[in-house]
Amino acid sequence: MIELLVYLFLFLALVFNLMGLIGILLFPDPYTRLQASSTCSTTAVVSVFIAVMIDAGLSAITGKVFVITLFFFVSSPVGAHIIAHYAWNMGIVPWRKLRKSRPEDSSHG
Amino acid sequence: MRVPFKMKASFKWKLVRILFTTVWLFGGWLLYTGSFEPVSLGLGVVASFLVAIATYDLFIAEHEAAKKGLLVRIHYGILYLLYLLAQMYLSSFAVLFNILRGNINPRIVHFRTRLHSDLARALLATSITLTPGTIAIDLQEDHLIVHWLDAKTTHSKYAGTLIKGKMETLLSRVFL
Repeated sequence: MIELLVYLFLFLALVFNLMGLIGILLFPDPYTRLQASSTCSTTAVVSVFIAVMIDAGLSAITGKVFVITLFFFVSSPVGAHIIAHYAWNMGIVPWRKLRKSRPEDSSHG
Repeated sequence: MRVPFKMKASFKWKLVRILFTTVWLFGGWLLYTGSFEPVSLGLGVVASFLVAIATYDLFIAEHEAAKKGLLVRIHYGILYLLYLLAQMYLSSFAVLFNILRGNINPRIVHFRTRLHSDLARALLATSITLTPGTIAIDLQEDHLIVHWLDAKTTHSKYAGTLIKGKMETLLSRVFL
């Protein structure tokens, strides 16, 4: 039962990491690529940590991994924020979805 | 008659800051040594006190010292962590479907927060970045600029309630 939970979380980590990579390739501009890479891989790494904590059970290692998770909770978003902040200060304009033009609009020229 | 001993306010707060830093550092020592022998405990107290004297100014800034933001309600902290984790997984799946369908609507939204201490505001911005689909680009005083991957709205107040969710309420309860 416990092993099943561990495998479930490791599988989730695999899926999120894969999706993050696909997102980096598909998305149009720095901000959205940053979203895909940082956020999905954050969830993937946290899933791995949860799997390790479940596998270790109640021991000193669980506490240490928990502290590492807390550090990761701080360090990963700060890294993403610094990249986004730098791009914002550089004046990179975020990509926006174009509104589909309606047929009655196009008839006006 | 004896004159009662009175400390200067700044000196008193300095002591409080050093004490708080020592307690946090000693907690870390306990976790990483994992032993309760007297020698280890004594060494830990001395070491964390020495490090606290050197670093209390970085750990707790002077203008933050008098606020009650240093004390944390632990049960609300645990509740906040669990809520954050659940929120992370939920919005992770949302982003996953966005990537699969290739249907995104990224927008920049601005909104305000009503948290007061620096630590709480920084934690809110970090949590917003941690939940997939939103990245906090800038935080000036109480004004947040957020990049939202799948924007439902650009109205400032409504976007704020959608993005912050219950996180802001919980955070305001975590810090006394």
